[in-house]
Amino acid sequence: MIDRANILLQFSNALIERSAAANSAIAAVRLREGRHITGTLWRRDTVITSEQSLPDGEEFELVTASGFSVNAKTTGRDPGTNLAVLKLERPLAAGNEFSSAAPRVGALALAFGADAGGNATVHMGVINALGPEWHSSHGGRIEQRVELDIDLARREEGGPVFDASGGFLGMSTFGPRRRVLVIPAATVERVVPILLKSGRISRGWLGVALRPVAVPEGLGEGQSSGLMIMSLNEGGPAATAGLVAGDIVLSVDGVSARRMRNITARLGADSIGRTIDLRFIRGGVVTSRQATITERPHP
Amino acid sequence: MTMALKTSVDARLRVALLAPDPLRRQALRDVLLNAGYTVVDIEDPADVILADGDCAAGDNRPTVMLGTGDRQAAGLLPRHAGADQIDAALRAVAVGLTVRPPAVNEPGFDDLDEADAHELLTPRELEVLSAIMDGLTNKLIARQLAISLHTVKFHVESVFRKLGVRTRAEAVATVLESNHFKMFRL
Repeated sequence: MIDRANILLQFSNALIERSAAANSAIAAVRLREGRHITGTLWRRDTVITSEQSLPDGEEFELVTASGFSVNAKTTGRDPGTNLAVLKLERPLAAGNEFSSAAPRVGALALAFGADAGGNATVHMGVINALGPEWHSSHGGRIEQRVELDIDLARREEGGPVFDASGGFLGMSTFGPRRRVLVIPAATVERVVPILLKSGRISRGWLGVALRPVAVPEGLGEGQSSGLMIMSLNEGGPAATAGLVAGDIVLSVDGVSARRMRNITARLGADSIGRTIDLRFIRGGVVTSRQATITERPHP
Repeated sequence: MTMALKTSVDARLRVALLAPDPLRRQALRDVLLNAGYTVVDIEDPADVILADGDCAAGDNRPTVMLGTGDRQAAGLLPRHAGADQIDAALRAVAVGLTVRPPAVNEPGFDDLDEADAHELLTPRELEVLSAIMDGLTNKLIARQLAISLHTVKFHVESVFRKLGVRTRAEAVATVLESNHFKMFRL
């Protein structure tokens, strides 16, 4: 006997449908030794995946749900936003046009991965916590902090996360202790076109290694901590401006160097070429110098 | 007897240390020497490479990396790995094994992790800490930094209080395991 009002069954069927549909949104990115990670089929010729889990390498084999195997080239990667972009040698027959969704705490989230044969695997949970725009330890700007209460296997990282309406929330990413974060759709939409065009995200550079230190009492004009210069890159902006190892930076353009993130936030792509005012302590005296930000050299 | 012989052979492993941050290099060097390794230059023949942070050795020798790094390295440890773990990982990698931290310790993609201002050391305290890690006595530290013994004692007390440690060995461990001593490249 069929219970037409069986909500659980309807729910289950909806999940089955969604999972089947997700087959066209994922691909297995094959690595060495039979391992793989998941890629999100962003367009019919473009796959995005987790930069931190993608080994160095020019070319990777992708496997899609239809069993289709295709080679793809790494065209760009940005450790700052954990996005890597692979361009397919031959475009797939059909592509995706995700409509992005705004995350809300408590909203249902479906995180998809790929098995070795390129078929979708699924985890269900909720958006556990949301936060404002943040900057990663690699200096990238992420439009919003989105955390899920979902556990993923290592091979499932880099897949798409959708909400109940099928809207694209972003790409799954392992945070610390393998907590699952989402690189939001807005970040993907901003960064992927740049990676496709120039292969990387340029950032501003001062050419210094800094260590947070407590400012000796009475020296910091009321500021209790700053950033001590440990070393300088020869010919870099800070060295050219006349800074030396041992200087304690108090502020950059009037923004306190009390927090490192205040400074990294000021070194985005738009900072390149800009002249900034560095205020620092040298030999017990507060001085300032002007430095011109250049583009961070890439390895 | 056989056990003792085995240990002495292992203990002669040559480790090349790559650590751009001078304080961490000092602490790691201390750990290596205490565990009986020979610390060699990166250009010299080495059995294993110990690399701290994002500095890839760029060669084929077995490498243990601390913190984020090349995921293809034979050994990966979290940045705050302790002396025992570093020792175990070096020995494992030297005999061709792969070392990975359990998932709970994986660094992952994250925002900047910054120490609180009240935990930070002053430049002078950093110098004193560095001298402590070199194994210098208070008297020698006073001579090296050209300050009075009284002032050295004052700084040592302050360093130990801020790090929450009571001995030199604990201070070395804290430099490795805490978030206080990060160096940033901008």
